[in-house]
Amino acid sequence: MLYVMEDDMSQQSLARLAGAHKRFGAVKALDGLDLAVNRGEMLALLGPNGAGKSTAIALLLGLQRADSGSALLFGEDPQSIDARRRIGVMMQEVNLSPVMHPREMVAQVASYYPTPYAAAEVIKRLSLESIANRPYGKLSGGQKRQVQFGMAIAGRPELLFLDEPSVGLDVHAREVLWRVLRDLVHEGCSIVLTTHYIEEAEALADRVAVVKHGRLVAGGSVDEIRAYVSRKNILCRTTLAREIITGWPEVQELREESGAMNITTHDAEAVLRLLLAADAKVSDIEVRRAGLAEAFAEITSANQADASPGGAHSGKLQ
Amino acid sequence: MSNASAQMSRSRVFAAYLGDIRYELTKMARTPAFAIPTIIFPAMFYLLFGILAGGGRGNAPFALQALARWSVFGAMAPGLFGFGVSLAFEREQGLLILKQALPMPPGSYLIGRMFNAMVFVCISTLLLLTIAVTMGHVPVTLGQAARILFVDALGVLPFCAIGLFVGSLISGQAAPAIINLIYLPMAFLSGLLFPLPIRILQQIAPVWPSHHLGQLSLAAVGAPAVGTTANHVAALVGVTVLFFVLAMRRLSSRGINLLGPAPTGAVFPLRRALNMAMMGIAIGLIIIGVVGGTAPPAAASTAATSKDATDKEDDSAATDAESSAAPVGVAAPDTTLIADFDNGSDQASYGMGWNAFDDKSRGGNSTTSQRVVAEGAGHSKGALEVSGDVGTAIQYAFVGTSFLPNGKPTPDFSQQGLMNYSSRHTLRFFARGDGQNYTVAISGPELDVIPAMYGFNAGADWQEVIVPLAELGNLDLERVKAISVGTMAPGPFRFQIDDVRIE
Repeated sequence: MLYVMEDDMSQQSLARLAGAHKRFGAVKALDGLDLAVNRGEMLALLGPNGAGKSTAIALLLGLQRADSGSALLFGEDPQSIDARRRIGVMMQEVNLSPVMHPREMVAQVASYYPTPYAAAEVIKRLSLESIANRPYGKLSGGQKRQVQFGMAIAGRPELLFLDEPSVGLDVHAREVLWRVLRDLVHEGCSIVLTTHYIEEAEALADRVAVVKHGRLVAGGSVDEIRAYVSRKNILCRTTLAREIITGWPEVQELREESGAMNITTHDAEAVLRLLLAADAKVSDIEVRRAGLAEAFAEITSANQADASPGGAHSGKLQ
Repeated sequence: MSNASAQMSRSRVFAAYLGDIRYELTKMARTPAFAIPTIIFPAMFYLLFGILAGGGRGNAPFALQALARWSVFGAMAPGLFGFGVSLAFEREQGLLILKQALPMPPGSYLIGRMFNAMVFVCISTLLLLTIAVTMGHVPVTLGQAARILFVDALGVLPFCAIGLFVGSLISGQAAPAIINLIYLPMAFLSGLLFPLPIRILQQIAPVWPSHHLGQLSLAAVGAPAVGTTANHVAALVGVTVLFFVLAMRRLSSRGINLLGPAPTGAVFPLRRALNMAMMGIAIGLIIIGVVGGTAPPAAASTAATSKDATDKEDDSAATDAESSAAPVGVAAPDTTLIADFDNGSDQASYGMGWNAFDDKSRGGNSTTSQRVVAEGAGHSKGALEVSGDVGTAIQYAFVGTSFLPNGKPTPDFSQQGLMNYSSRHTLRFFARGDGQNYTVAISGPELDVIPAMYGFNAGADWQEVIVPLAELGNLDLERVKAISVGTMAPGPFRFQIDDVRIE
């Protein structure tokens, strides 16, 4: 387990999964997942399809029960109505009534909360005035997502769960969404976000958790994730022995691919200098920068558990 | 850790319930696929079959019955469609899951829909009442209207529960078709809308909840009903509880808890036991209701008029031959007097009659007898008293006394002759009795056709009953076979008639 949460125990975690297991028939959806959402942060939950992100959210929302381990929302059972009155939810695949109008839909959800926003306030904040009184069924896919987002924030939640909020949004609508999300965090709202867009996580999240096979495989601040992706790969053909290269402190990983060496490093320049000095016959040198998406792909495709970014081992991810 | 901001005032919770009701009503009112079958169809069918086809003004007992029956047809739809179809769709489309995650007050989803179904039923029934009063000239009293509304509004509940259960099982795509496959056959098989043609169907009619609601609705307008109120209520409550519990179990197994959080751990066996107990009680209630509500076959929808009408096969064979194209009856004698009973006899001035008749030949258990008594209307020498007890063994029981203007001394109704009364416009007689409502039925050539009917009340004092023949529906004055006076209401009855004239 990489993502140890002892430090969070003393803190206020608004939502927490501890050693959560969940199985659907033969499929192990969650395999001892630990996850905590802290006050005032935006946590991006990343992972390939079927990794267990949605199950993790479903457990925190009380939509499903863990087979073992625990799920807590504001320290309570996630099905408690008091806990639910403090959260907002936007789900991925929901078809709402096509005959109702966004203003009515937002107002209805708001009525479930103790101190909600006025529907008009939500409409204004999301710039939905032009569609507020049109039947939901007549809206575009992106507009529908915006309305669903409006319903999620209508209750003035302390903790907001957003499942793929920007799917289907055009550039402008996504900008509005991002702005509102930043404002909400600024106002003290905590947010859990699942997304396919890594740049969205990068732009918004304070912290990233990568889930795969129902476990947490990587987690850390966005800076730590950036540090991970700032590593570069040097490909070359060299006669140097593996041991020599792996002995250089700047080298983090070495793989042999079809006769070539693939060196992963934080400091490509230093490794290149060493390489050129040590092997005059080194050839076919190519330096590749690992993109964010590539890093994510690498994290999620790596089988070994220590594919986590630097710093994750410390157990402190704040 | 609880936060003061999470505390929700009672008035806000109440407002949330109200908001859900209003939201649901708005949604359904904007959904033609819901509003049309639940409001327009019952009204349209009632207009077609209950008013236009059933005979017009003056045919009070028939018109009241039709109103009661078709209002139940309307009461079935909102529960079945509102719960069945929408639940199936919303379950499939993720909306129910979203609602689970929202702090919706417990049960609000169900309450909103239930209320919605009740409002739609009230609209549907009010529309039927309006049609009945304005277009059908049905003499509905305010009390009857209020009782129908009450029965129908509460009567939605078993259908809500059935809809809920079906909606928890099937896909949204299939839901409209399957709900219709339940709704329409159940309405017809209960014998609610049209008399059931096959004996076995008549015998199993009490299996359908619509049968029980139909009988309650008939009773609400004072029309004859089978079974007791307690039986029908037991069956309907049983159906409601049974399907509700089944639906909750089914939804709960899919992670949907409409009544609030699912219990965990030790509570579970307790809830399970409670569920089983409730289902057991529900099934018991249904059995009591179904057994008590058993309605043996109603042989014909008409009020039989022959004193001891015999073999029905013969009747129908003969009536098939006689159609409305039958030759007109013999001309009526000049005299307007049919009978004044002053000579101590129950015979009329012409034809056969009067003869008391019951429903034994149709499988009923009613009894009737008649005798000539002294002290007729206007202190005349005699009057005809008819008394007896209407049983509940068959639907559409009708017993009393009948006069065959061109009758022959045979019990075979098909052999009776016709009389042409086309020159007459009014049937009048004096009546008094035990304060109950009675019916004049004028039958044509065919036994299996609902006769022209006219209702009156027989109070303690002699009062003249004037039947405006021209205004009766289903009446062919050129071909009159029998004129009967009797009752359809179960229980003992006693009435007297005197000085019967057609002029």
